[in-house]
Amino acid sequence: MRRDAKKRGVGGVMLLQTVVRLIAAAGIIGFSVTAFALVKMVVLARARRSSAGFSAFRRGVPGIVYFTTPDCVTCKAAQRPALRALVKQLDRNVQVIEVDATDRPDLARQWSVLSVPTTFILDRDGKPRQVNHGFASAAKLLSQLQRVS
Amino acid sequence: MPDALGKVDHSSLKVNQGTIIVLLLVSFVANVPWLTAAVAVVMVAGTMAGRPGFFFIYSWLLRPAGIVKPNVLADNPEPHRFAQGFGGVVAAISALSTLLGAAVFGWSLAWLVIVLAALNLFVGFCAGCAVYYWLHRLQVPGFSKNPPTGFFPGMRPRT
Repeated sequence: MRRDAKKRGVGGVMLLQTVVRLIAAAGIIGFSVTAFALVKMVVLARARRSSAGFSAFRRGVPGIVYFTTPDCVTCKAAQRPALRALVKQLDRNVQVIEVDATDRPDLARQWSVLSVPTTFILDRDGKPRQVNHGFASAAKLLSQLQRVS
Repeated sequence: MPDALGKVDHSSLKVNQGTIIVLLLVSFVANVPWLTAAVAVVMVAGTMAGRPGFFFIYSWLLRPAGIVKPNVLADNPEPHRFAQGFGGVVAAISALSTLLGAAVFGWSLAWLVIVLAALNLFVGFCAGCAVYYWLHRLQVPGFSKNPPTGFFPGMRPRT
């Protein structure tokens, strides 16, 4: 009987330890996800500070800043066609500002662009609201634009 | 002149990273450092064989079942091998430290491997690859590859 009680006690301690570790794991994962979200916010904040630099931006129309390079295959094969389709669909209700990151490394640095294609969604005032690292489909860009319009 | 790039199936890398994350999480939650040791052995063995340690899960199970499709990109395989080998060594030190009683240090190293694998899996940034390219810039012998043109060292290239 005493042995059973001891067994139950050991089992209880092990269960408690597992629960504590599970909570710790959830906490670390939660912290990491929050940290990543913060980094994304910092990227957007940095981009916001330098967004005044686009003289081509027409106020009152949401836009997309599209970072590319001449040898980016995805840009040519996927991102540019997606942007063309979007412009065709939205006509004058969207503007696309294309930036060659090799030509403007200063802008790529200011906007924290680490790979191409990277697209930023700008609201009507030219403030960056969303960032897509890598290819973003026309449907995704459209839904992001609708959110800032 | 940029290096001629090889072909890397990034789906197999992702499956490998996902498996490592899950197994190390189970190892931590269940307090089983032997599982960390086993993961380390598979990672190091995979590095020596020149492929992801848990490649068999991808090639025997997930790819034939159509659950994961190949995503072959022009990339250097060497930095990924280096990253896995480095992760395997860190996992091995983690298991050894935990088994020898330095639990906090040991599990911290296991978490380091989990976080870096997650960074690669979810964000596309391979920290081990970045270290490889950094060592290449420092002209350390054995680290001969340049990052793919137009990409930040360590970032996953696109198709």
